[in-house]
Order: sequence, then C-alpha cells, then structure tokens
Amino acid sequence: MKRGLYETDEAVIAGIRCGDDRALAHMYKLHFPMVSHLILSNNGTDDEAKDIYQEGVIVFYEKIKDNSLELSCQIKTYLYSVCRRLWLKKLAEKGRFAVKLDDAENYLMLEEDVPQHEENERQFGQMEVAMNQLGEPCRSLLEDYYIRTQSMQEITERFGYTNSDTAKNQKYKCLQRLKKIFFTNYKPEDTLL
Amino acid sequence: MYEQIERYLAGSMDADERSAFEALMHTDPRLAKQVQEHRVILQAMQQYGKRNALRTQLNNIHSDMETNRSGKQPAWKVFWNRNAQTMGVAASVSLLSVFGTLWSVQQMKAPVQQQTVRYVELRREVDKLKKAQTAIIKGINNTNKAVPRPARFSGTGFALTSDGYMVTSSHVVEGADSIMVENKAGQKYKVHEVYRDQAHDLSILKIEDPAFEGFGKLPYTFKTAESDLGEKVYTLGYPREDIVFGEGSLSSSSGFEGDTTAYQISIPLNPGNSGGPLLDDKGNLVGVISGKQAGQEGAAFAIKSAYLLQLISELPLATTLSPLSLPQKNALTGISRPQQLKKLRDFVFVVKVYN
Repeated sequence: MKRGLYETDEAVIAGIRCGDDRALAHMYKLHFPMVSHLILSNNGTDDEAKDIYQEGVIVFYEKIKDNSLELSCQIKTYLYSVCRRLWLKKLAEKGRFAVKLDDAENYLMLEEDVPQHEENERQFGQMEVAMNQLGEPCRSLLEDYYIRTQSMQEITERFGYTNSDTAKNQKYKCLQRLKKIFFTNYKPEDTLL
Repeated sequence: MYEQIERYLAGSMDADERSAFEALMHTDPRLAKQVQEHRVILQAMQQYGKRNALRTQLNNIHSDMETNRSGKQPAWKVFWNRNAQTMGVAASVSLLSVFGTLWSVQQMKAPVQQQTVRYVELRREVDKLKKAQTAIIKGINNTNKAVPRPARFSGTGFALTSDGYMVTSSHVVEGADSIMVENKAGQKYKVHEVYRDQAHDLSILKIEDPAFEGFGKLPYTFKTAESDLGEKVYTLGYPREDIVFGEGSLSSSSGFEGDTTAYQISIPLNPGNSGGPLLDDKGNLVGVISGKQAGQEGAAFAIKSAYLLQLISELPLATTLSPLSLPQKNALTGISRPQQLKKLRDFVFVVKVYN
C-alpha cells in the first residue's frame, strides 16, 4: 500500500471522490485507533467501536460523494466529532443518561450532518426490512436490475424465464410488492424529495 | 403505463414523448403520485445497494486491519493509553522530589563533611612563581650557570648522625627524583633516601655530596621513653623560606584517631613543617612532626621518637649499611631557649624535593 500518496487530507478526499478504495482504506486505518480509544474509554466494547466508527466513516464518505462536505477542519476532527455524537446517542439509548465523555480530541457540534444521516439511516433500515420481507426470488431480481444494473436479458437467463417479457412482468410485480411494504412503514419527508 | 414511468425516470424518453407524459402527469394526480413513489423507491433502493457495498468494503478493511494488528488491545493497554499522561506527570513529580531531596540533603551535608576529621600532611608545595623569580635573578647574576629547576615540594629534615644521616617524613620525599637539603648556614647537599618506613611515615636520608665533611657534633639526644603529658616541646622547621620556631606542649599521648605511635602536640604548624624535630626542654628529641588535623585548632601530630629509633635499629638489617652511631651527649640541657636554638638550627634542614 502506497502510504505517501495519501499523506494530506486533500489527497484522501480526492482519492475517495474518484472512487479509490485504497484512499478509503488508508483513512479508515489511520483514524480507527482514535475512535476506538474514545469508545473503549467510555464504557464501550470493541464491536461497538467498530460499528460506530463505520457509521462515522459512512457519513463522511457519503458527504464526499454528494460533494456536500464543507470541511473546515481536519478529517480526524470531523470523524471524531461524528463518532462522538453517534456514541452519545447510543449511550442515551442504552439508558445511560448522565453522560459525560472523556474527550481526548477537539470536536465540532455538527448540528446538521448527523440528523440528516439519521434520516438516511431510517430510510435504509426500512428498505432493508422491506427487502427481507420480500423474499426470494423477488429480492435478487430487484437487486440485480436496479442495484447491479444488469440488463433484462441477463436476468432472464439467470432466473430461467422463458423470455424477457415474463421477466419484466415478474419484475413489475415484485416492485409493486416492494412499494407496498416500503410505503406502509416509511413516510418520506419533504426534505428528501 | 408502468414502463412509461420507468423510462421517464431513467430519462430515456425523447423530447416529445417526455412533454406529453409531463402534461399527462399534470392532469392526472394519481399518475403523478405513482411517479413520485416510484422515484423514491428507486432512490432508496440504490442507496441501499450503495450502502451495502460500502459496509462490505469497510468490513473488509476492518478485518484486514485486525489481522495486521495482531489481536486486540488488552485491558491494561487501554488503561495505560487512558492514564499515560497522568502517570507520566506523577512519575516525573515524584522523581523530581526524590532527587531534589537527595540533592538538597547533600548540599546541607557538604559543609559538615568538611569539618569531619581529615589528616593533613604538612608537606609544602613550593610557590612556583617565587622560585621562578629567584631563578631568573640568579640567571642574570650568573649567566653561565644552568638555571636550576624549582623544587616541587619542600619539608623539614634534621641530622641523625654527624656522618651525614638525616631523617624526614616519608610523605615529603614521596615520588622524588632528587632531593636537596639546605640549612640556615647555607650548607647545601644532595641526598638520597636509603630507607623508609611507610607505616610510621619516616624516611632516612644520606648525604652523598663529595664536598660533605660531616655535621660536627650533634647537640641533642634521642629519647627512648615516652614523654609525659603537658611537657613543653618545641620545633624548628621550614614552613616558608626561612626557619621558623614553634613552641607548645605535649597535649596527648596518642595521635590522629587514637594512633599510639604519635603524640598530639599544641604547636601551630603549617605545610613545610613535616619532618621537623620535636624537642623537649632538656634538648631530647621526642618526635618527628608529621601532620595535623584539618579544621581543628592546635591539633598537630608527631611520630614518637621510639619508632624512629626502631627504624634506625632496623636499618643495618634491611640494608648493607653499617649501624648508625647516634649522638650520646646532650649539649642543650640547662641553657636558655635562644641558646638552644642557636646550637640547633644548623642541624635542621629544608628538604627540597624535585620530580
């Protein structure tokens, strides 16, 4: 792994923006100990540290992909702040209300980023539930078509439909079902549209 | 209809079809709602896909990191990371106070240490500058003569026999290359050390100058018995360039730290007095000056004459020299102190040590 490439924050961000996995991996490995230390020294476990950190990285990653990140500080500080907030929330959920974290780093308040992330997360959770309820082969079919963007032809062959029309029909039915499940639980907020 | 929605959202309609479809959406709110829902679900699904991919990627990175990191941190390490700073400060404070205390105790003890007993040998380090000056003056007066090297140390010595044996403290002639003796009358001889008793700090010297013709009759005798406390004693010596008389009394029959081979005497002594004779009122030699106690007033020490005599008797056994014939007649008894000194002073020498 070429370390020298990603020495500055700018290089890391540029790397992630153009989809370089090594940039992400480098950044991930670089900052994990800091967050792990935060969580371990505030009543957390290794697994919780991992979850929180990954969530933090996802927030950061998606912000970069959206080009909506206005980074006024180091990546390190940003990640720390996000993870700190997420962990506070997690602690509150666990019922430890009198929460005061031992901080080893500076942090930002981040009034906007985290709530938006939570909204995304909610949608994501609903989608996961809906997908699971949908069952096979609908789930695979939809994933193949919409997420992996395979052509109707490939799907037809793979699922053993007689022709692509049958496949289309099947896909339509599946989508209808998914919509039904999804929208019964999830009410989109205006901000999303 | 469904296919149309999909194509509309994918942006694969051409301009005409698109505007027609949008017009239809305007008129038909149900269609509009369907399109909206479709868009949301597509978005959500794509988000879901991306998120899942990202999660897997992060998990891969994490497990990769975990394997590289060789196991997870043990509890003590977590504790250490958390408290390292505090512990560091505590450790440095305690170290500082320990060493600070040690140091200050040392400082307080230092002057005390100076006052503790210390034996000072009274050999004089000759003032180099003065010697150099006299050498230069001599050089000016007598240009064809080699400039003598200044002596490094000096002490005092006195005659044992009339045929040229002398005694001094052995620390005076320690490490000497050559030794010169000189008395008040200006007689100057080269001597060499023939015997030494390191334990009693005594050295026997012998004049080896061909010009030497004997001291003449020695006026003092050697006392074999031990002297009594309070006896008046005096010495002659060369603590400086000139001969100096010092008087006092015998204040103890043991020397430094209870050394029974020496007397303690109350005569003010200085470096250069070492090796000088210690005589009593009747002109008996009772000891040889050897040193004093640092930081203590009037505590000087002299080796008892008995040990000098013992040394003299050992001499023929240890070397090939014939036994020494010590003076038997005392010429100092019953005369006044200045008269005694007048007779005595020609037999007391400054011992100059060159190395």
